Amino acid sequence: MDFSTHFVAAFELTTLPQQLINGLLNGAIYALIALGYTMVYGVLKLINFAHGEVFMLGAYGALFVSWKLGYQPDGNAPPPSLMALVLMLLGAMLICTIVAFFIERFAYRPMRNQPRIASLITAIGLSLLLQYAGQIFLLNGTPQTIQAEKISPFSGNVVLNLRGADQSRLAEAEKLKPAWDAAVAEFKARMPLEPGGEFNLSQEGERLHTKQGDAERAYKAALNDGNAGVMKIEVPKGQVVLFTITIILMAVLTYLVMFTKQGRAMRAVSHDFNAASLMGINIDSIITFTFLLGSALAGAGAMMYCTFIPGTKIDSFLGLAPGIKAFTAAVLGGIGNIPGAVLGGLVMGVAEYLVVWAGYDSYRDAIAFLILIVVLLFRPGGLLGSAKVEKV
Amino acid sequence: MFWGKRLGSVALALLGCLILQRVGLGLNSYFQTMLVLAGVYVTLSVSLNLINGITGQFSIGHAAFYMIGAYSAGVLARAFYVPLDKSLYSPLNNGFQGLVQSISPGFTCQLQPLMWLIGVMIAGAIFAAVAGFVVGLPSLRLKGDYLAIVTMGFGEIVSIIVRNQEPLGKSYGLEIKPTIPSIFLTWLLAVVCIAVCRNLLKNVHGLSFLAVREDEVASSAMGVNVTRVKVAAFVLGSAFAGAAGAIYAHSLGFVSPTNFSMDISFIILTMVILGGSGSITGATVAAVVLFYIPEWLRDLKTIPMAGFVGAIFATIMVVALVKRTLDGFQEKGRKTAMIFASIGAGIVMTIALRFALKGVTGLEGSIDGNKLRFVVLAAILVILMLLRPQGIFAHHEFSWKWVKGLFKKKTAVSA
Repeated sequence: MDFSTHFVAAFELTTLPQQLINGLLNGAIYALIALGYTMVYGVLKLINFAHGEVFMLGAYGALFVSWKLGYQPDGNAPPPSLMALVLMLLGAMLICTIVAFFIERFAYRPMRNQPRIASLITAIGLSLLLQYAGQIFLLNGTPQTIQAEKISPFSGNVVLNLRGADQSRLAEAEKLKPAWDAAVAEFKARMPLEPGGEFNLSQEGERLHTKQGDAERAYKAALNDGNAGVMKIEVPKGQVVLFTITIILMAVLTYLVMFTKQGRAMRAVSHDFNAASLMGINIDSIITFTFLLGSALAGAGAMMYCTFIPGTKIDSFLGLAPGIKAFTAAVLGGIGNIPGAVLGGLVMGVAEYLVVWAGYDSYRDAIAFLILIVVLLFRPGGLLGSAKVEKV
Repeated sequence: MFWGKRLGSVALALLGCLILQRVGLGLNSYFQTMLVLAGVYVTLSVSLNLINGITGQFSIGHAAFYMIGAYSAGVLARAFYVPLDKSLYSPLNNGFQGLVQSISPGFTCQLQPLMWLIGVMIAGAIFAAVAGFVVGLPSLRLKGDYLAIVTMGFGEIVSIIVRNQEPLGKSYGLEIKPTIPSIFLTWLLAVVCIAVCRNLLKNVHGLSFLAVREDEVASSAMGVNVTRVKVAAFVLGSAFAGAAGAIYAHSLGFVSPTNFSMDISFIILTMVILGGSGSITGATVAAVVLFYIPEWLRDLKTIPMAGFVGAIFATIMVVALVKRTLDGFQEKGRKTAMIFASIGAGIVMTIALRFALKGVTGLEGSIDGNKLRFVVLAAILVILMLLRPQGIFAHHEFSWKWVKGLFKKKTAVSA
């Protein structure tokens, strides 16, 4: 089996920082979606399985806005502009908010007094319904991509050098280069003088050939040595923007939840549903508000996911994988806990890329669940959550 | 009286299986496969009902056990099973076969695959039961949503591992030879599964299952071994799912990871909840119905777009009306009348809209029924949850007493 060699060969410390950064960027998107799950769970105690589909519809919203602005897959596109990106972001968030409003009003609100399992099943049903209805009504289910390279004014990479090349070894290599060049030139110069190609077989030819080879080896060894320690991080500028927007959105959310009247009401509802309503809080409006807030975040996540992560194809099953992973992230951090969702998302993203770094690309999706199961076995409430002790 | 009823039920069930087998032989292979799959889904649904409905452990990874059963059958068949070649056949080689041969001549090649199928079912059940034991252990610490996500994660992990293993055929799957579609055995398994669950509920062990569902703390205070009950439910439920998987593998002759995706888990869960969580009758009926509806839609190749859009509007209207009726009216007769009236109005509206919308741009053309399968399934799910959250059968069960009551009422009316 090639198991052991594979295992050893893949561990390259120099690529570790790059993969960690990739993981963080990916985790930021998971965190953004996970926030929606965790907020809805906080106030409703309902796992909103349709959240992934809200995310998917947000992606379609961004796609249609980009088409309306003229960035069609074929034909002339307007020049790249920041404005288009902002419009797409707002469009996605708006679509998600509208969809979430209808879902909450017509599917979840009638279920609020029913057993929890019934509302959970409704959520699963809605998720399936949106997926498969989207396959029929949204562009016949043909996968589409956002023309990110035409829209985004952020092109190129941000490069961060952590450890440069070994300059002394490189200088040494530079010194060895003329020797190699000279050896090659000498070999080539002697070649035509001996007709019939006998030069290669002659003693003199042998000597010159060896000399040339040695010079080449010495030069390349020095060069490789010099470059071996290079450790750098390259991130596309678009993903830096993505991370920045994510941080801004999270800051806004924290402000909303911690320092506004609505946020305080939200926390009260999450803490004790009935007591909050006795205190004069309008439960319905608070739940709707929370729901819309979480969905708007999903919309923002969807727009950025489809624009800044290259090769993302938008179809009606887009929300499935990110949705499940974000949900796992929310549970990992402790569902109902807002900092927990962010932490869970980042942990998941980093863990995934660590698995990729170790060479097990195909097990990338499994690691999320493995971590989840292990964490839940030791901390049943999640990383930051607290497990409730049931009293009789 | 007691034994008469019981033996009568057993005889009736066996007769039912035999009749299905007999009917199936007369149909083409597509309908035979349908009959087998219906039986498989009944087993899956009833076994999940044991975990989910009766013991109250919320599991959404049932497809994983099903998958483990199917793949273990596939691997065993590929590793050990040599199809019986008629030219090599001799009654002396195999004592049991010789015995059967002496009793009923001509019943030769059929038996060997069936014996193999039974063996593979047991093997699949054992493998799945081990997996169920592993999943059952976390259920001791986790509850509700957390347990649900762990079972889902387990299902995904199993699926990902299978997708990455060369001997298991990666994403392409395994071909299994020979195919042994046995309607009788499939439905026998379903009947056994139903009988086990039903009998469990009638004795003290089963009552402890119900007690755990209702209140864990109280039941443990009353001396129920909660740990044992939970793990037993997982082991038993997954064993039946594994056996169903083995039958599935051998009847289709092919297994691939897509056949056991998370959607399947959700569909099985839907069957349990729609039938009425905890009701074995409900799980059985819902399994048959929910298995049949998508298959029926698969055959409808072209559905006019106008009609479909009309049906959507009509459905929304009917749901709103029925919901209002259920909430508003108290009088039972009026309620029923209103419900039937709204359903009738919905049908009329569908037909009317189908013609009214015919000329509208964007609504010409038609939809492939195959694409519509899960839309209809999901719509039924959401609508039923809105209108009847406790499931179709709620907590009711089919019983002879109920049948008797049915006849008595009728005679009373006629007299």
